[in-house]
Amino acid sequence: MTRFAKLAGSVAIVATMLAPVVASADDKDVIDYRQHLMNTLDHQSGALGMILSGVIPDKHMADHIEIISLVASLSPKAFAPHVEGGQSKPEVWSKAADFDKKMKDFVTGSANVTKIARDQGPTEAVNHILDALPCKGCHDLYRDPSKK
Amino acid sequence: MNRLTRFVASVAVVAAIAAPAAVRADDQDTIAYREDIMKTLGDQAASIGMIIQGKAPAENIVAHTQILALAAASALDAFEPKVAGGESKPEVWAQWADFSKKMNEFSMAAADLAKTAKAGGLEAVKPKMQATMTCKGCHDVYRQKK
Ligand code: HEC
Ligand code: HEC
Repeated sequence: MTRFAKLAGSVAIVATMLAPVVASADDKDVIDYRQHLMNTLDHQSGALGMILSGVIPDKHMADHIEIISLVASLSPKAFAPHVEGGQSKPEVWSKAADFDKKMKDFVTGSANVTKIARDQGPTEAVNHILDALPCKGCHDLYRDPSKK
Repeated sequence: MNRLTRFVASVAVVAAIAAPAAVRADDQDTIAYREDIMKTLGDQAASIGMIIQGKAPAENIVAHTQILALAAASALDAFEPKVAGGESKPEVWAQWADFSKKMNEFSMAAADLAKTAKAGGLEAVKPKMQATMTCKGCHDVYRQKK
């Protein structure tokens, strides 16, 4: 096998491996971007959890909640393009009305908790914290975590 | 069990599963907390990079720089407890004056970037990117990649 043939072969293998997930470079960008948003939610709710469990002081609780609400505000548009792949189930688009409503509730809910945290402090925000964390309710229907 | 207790309990379970035997649970959480903040910075830097390359909506720059600034503002306090471990070098605490100076400068630059984005959008942000993203300058001295 010439070096070129070997190179061409390995490129083809890489292309085949990526093919099922990535329809085109643009589609890959759409998926990467919405996953950056979701991973930020993951890390910020992790940070919140550590505050709620009492290990970390609540000084930055409002900051973490506000980050969640800012990410939420970007999320509906990030899922608007019909690009299947990642861990999204096809239902994200086939049941768009319900998915959009869940996203919208997440946007308004997390914005409300941010306002409570800023105006009334972390203790009051704790009473409403689950309004900023409707993660599981959406994932159970629209995310398949077994997909890569 | 009320909803909050249940939430706290489930977080505690996850933390317990993740904790290596050698490190106390509280120390493990302290390390996980600062790493959650750093990972947030990582996803935000990547998102901002995608926007600059035209791979994500330009108007989102305002929210992403705000998130960067909020995460940066919480970072210094997260390193305050002297808990060695994770990817932190001992120098974080041995040279605390320099470490905190670097972190404060980063946080101020990030806050300025957020203001710039709000006022002038993506084009105003671009020329300030390099001076704001001092990540590597700190990591080279204070982070030991595992
Ligand atoms: C209205 C629906 C919805 C809400 C609310 C929601 N998510 Fe997601 N999430 C999704 C979907 C859909 C995916 C799959 C994205 C993909 O890979 O295409 C996902 C993926 C993820 C992932 C995996 C990302 C990756 O890199 O594969 C994480 C982590 C995550 N979400 C965390 C959260 C957290 C934490 C919250 C709450 C603070 C949250 N999500 C709220 C719909 C939602
Ligand atoms: C003033 C110092 C400092 C600055 C500025 C800084 N970091 Fe870090 N970063 C650290 C230290 C220390 C660690 C190791 C934390 C640990 O694991 O204990 C770290 C760890 C990380 C990690 C690994 C987290 C993990 O556990 O997987 C990422 C990703 C990261 N930083 C991204 C960034 C980005 C992106 C920026 C800039 C936008 C940045 N950091 C700015 C000091 C800094």
